[in-house]
Amino acid sequence: MDLRVTSRRGRRGRALARLAITAAMIPAVAPALAQAQEAHRGGTMQLMAVASGGTLDPQINYTAQFWQLYSATYDGLVAFKKADGPESNTVVPDLAADMPTVSADGKTYTFTLRKGVKFSNGDDVTPEDVVASLQRIFKVSSPTSGSFYNGIVGADDCLSSPADCTLEGGVIADADANTVTINLVEPDPEFLFKLSVPHASILPKGTAAKDMGNTPIPGTGAYMFTSYDANNSLTMERNPHFVEWSADAQPEGYADKIEYKFGGTEESAVNAVMNGQADWSFDPLPADRLAELSTNATDQLHVHAQSAWWYAPMNVNIPPFNDVRVRQALNYAVDRNALVSVFGGPALAQPVCQILPPDFPGHEDSCIYTQDPGDTWSAPDMDKARALVAESGTKGEKVNVVTEDNAASRGVGTYLQSVLTDLGYDATVQTVSGDIQFTYIQNTNNNVQISVTQWYMDYPAASNFLNVLFGCGSFHPGSDSSINIAGFCDEEIDARMKSAMTLGATDPEAANAEWAKIDYAVMEKAPAVPLFTPRRLDLVSERVGNFEYSSLFNWLIAKSWVQ
Amino acid sequence: MLTNFLSRLLRMVIVMFGISVITFLIFFATPGSDPAARIAGRNAAPETIAAVRHDFGLDRPLYVQYALMMDRLFITRDLTSFANRGQKIVPTIVSAAPATLSLVAGAAILWMALGAMTGIIAAAFRNRLPDKILMGASMMAVAMPVFWVGEMINLVTQSRLHDTWAFSWVPPLGYVPFTSDPAGWFLALVFPWICLALLYIGLYGRMLRTGIIETYQEDYIRTARSKGLSARRVLLKHATRTAIIPIVIMFGMDFGVLVGGAAVLTEVVFGINGVGRLTYQALKALDLPMIMATVLYASFFVVVANAIVDVLCVMIDPRMRRK
Repeated sequence: MDLRVTSRRGRRGRALARLAITAAMIPAVAPALAQAQEAHRGGTMQLMAVASGGTLDPQINYTAQFWQLYSATYDGLVAFKKADGPESNTVVPDLAADMPTVSADGKTYTFTLRKGVKFSNGDDVTPEDVVASLQRIFKVSSPTSGSFYNGIVGADDCLSSPADCTLEGGVIADADANTVTINLVEPDPEFLFKLSVPHASILPKGTAAKDMGNTPIPGTGAYMFTSYDANNSLTMERNPHFVEWSADAQPEGYADKIEYKFGGTEESAVNAVMNGQADWSFDPLPADRLAELSTNATDQLHVHAQSAWWYAPMNVNIPPFNDVRVRQALNYAVDRNALVSVFGGPALAQPVCQILPPDFPGHEDSCIYTQDPGDTWSAPDMDKARALVAESGTKGEKVNVVTEDNAASRGVGTYLQSVLTDLGYDATVQTVSGDIQFTYIQNTNNNVQISVTQWYMDYPAASNFLNVLFGCGSFHPGSDSSINIAGFCDEEIDARMKSAMTLGATDPEAANAEWAKIDYAVMEKAPAVPLFTPRRLDLVSERVGNFEYSSLFNWLIAKSWVQ
Repeated sequence: MLTNFLSRLLRMVIVMFGISVITFLIFFATPGSDPAARIAGRNAAPETIAAVRHDFGLDRPLYVQYALMMDRLFITRDLTSFANRGQKIVPTIVSAAPATLSLVAGAAILWMALGAMTGIIAAAFRNRLPDKILMGASMMAVAMPVFWVGEMINLVTQSRLHDTWAFSWVPPLGYVPFTSDPAGWFLALVFPWICLALLYIGLYGRMLRTGIIETYQEDYIRTARSKGLSARRVLLKHATRTAIIPIVIMFGMDFGVLVGGAAVLTEVVFGINGVGRLTYQALKALDLPMIMATVLYASFFVVVANAIVDVLCVMIDPRMRRK
């Protein structure tokens, strides 16, 4: 199978962009180009998914499926750039006219709002809307209220009593100056990232302080939701009050209408796209269709690296993985190439043996657990692994691998079982429904020894992997929400992570170098087996043009055309 | 009549109460079923989970939670899902019901008509070629798993031969509401009907055949024959009428169960978002409110379908009237 299924269409898109720059310099050409762009405007885009993503409330929903839609329907004060490739990791001003002025101590951010921006209900965006929206994050108990926005002054009171949240002294509006000032308790180099995700969307101040469920909330984006039935379909239409103010933050869309249908199977979605009945499907393509698609539909396939990892966290607090030698042994023994095949081949995954994904801030190639330790993984080292297991004296112990009920996760689990058996353990696989497994493996009461799971970035910062997944602060024994699944808490490493975060506020480069070292230090303790970096494979219909991919929002739907 | 109706109603309420209590208890006995963290979202802070737990009443005693859930399901009807926060349960099921009803009703007409025909023809030609062909075919129909048949139909009609004259008329998978486009509704359901009906055609055909052949041994058939009635009249008016009673009883059960959500495989394969798919998704996500509502919905239909069948049997079988 062709591994680099670069699309001709993608190249054409970039060529067009280059053309656009040239065109801007030659006024005579500009109308012709505008006409070409105009010709693509219109039509209805048809999207599909097996199931919907749950509530439509952008301050509550935490799914990649709907974040993709929010990128075209809602705006924050700042936003991730709507651009193809690594550029999509940069933060640009959105509802704020410029990047905020930050005080010397890094604790005060002042944003001046853009003038003339309206919600889809026709109301102007005012500083009061910003204050109300930031309060609403706490009032609706947004999933990230306690992890992203707890650094705002007054957030503690909001967390303990959400209904009376005021963020007094934390968020201050000045209607005359048209500014909003946010005060933090401590400097936070990641604060602008946190303001760029959909949970910090600016909504009209009158929005009820409860989960709005299936009822669309007016937004400021190029599109607005016009109907949503979680069991059937969702429709987005052009926001009549939208005027493009920044193509980087919120570009005008091509299609007039976007229809999203829920139901069916992954298999039928592929047929629908190939028949031109749909333009794209959210779910992963069925592995048995890949060979056929990569020869028949090369132009319609788009492959992109993801800022994510598949990993097997090992519970460092119960046997046998409370012995670091056992954890290292498994890391030495796992054949990453075999796992890549299990996941569907090199087009869909890349072997990995460290925590931060390739091209991620703070990533520096390094691999401790391989035949010849160095930059990259080459082959498993079974001799070393067996020696370590023998040394630990844990041979013969029972080990249970907990996986999700989908084919990929089960395949990985079965593979891990075979490796563990090879190492002399009495290994079994337990499969739990995908919707439940993620919370099940987090709770220490379930005594999960090792499990198979994934983590996708929330925003491009090393701490989002290292501190979130292996920091002492994310370990809550007995709770279903204890994202440090391995239960790994190393005082020294934790202190280094805290200082790296502080360093990031003043010197991001030095901080990233330190994060690379922390990645190495955590891997030495081996609280998890890094398995592979997944790639996203998108299949679009023949008529879809200008496919652009953002690392946070996946395919930028608004920037593609259907005619 | 009225007492009969009331006693049935009472029995139904008791059955449904029992089912709801069992469903409720099984849910809370399932490991990892605590919905608070799932509702709160990944990596939620402990404060957030506590707030969600309180909001959803999950910090109250089980019997209070049960009473609240029943109140919100039947009285205020604003019960919301644990998995899709904010999704109201009752309207969701109400809007999913027509799809399932269309699917099952159409398939039922098909399988009753074709099943009866198969059984009668096979019995009439007992042990001869038509009988053997029909029984072989119905054995196959019973043996083929419905999801496989569905996928094969889709493979042919949506993929391999989709662009040929034979199947270019097949609309994309999914349900088209009857009220918005009756023709589209019909076309979209043709293959799902066939797929769902196949198993039952085979099953009912075989059962009816056996029933008729057994009935042929009865005294009253001999009497009818000796009266000089034609073979066709004996077969249709006398033998079939008696032999069809067990089929009608079975039909009631099957229909009720399918309308209640057992047509899930057909629904999923053909992208029809009916009650079965709702139940399946709710089970996968351990979404208690949705599980509870769909289970009660299903049991309601089984009870109602049984009541209707009892009435039908009295109409078909004169012997029952005398009792």
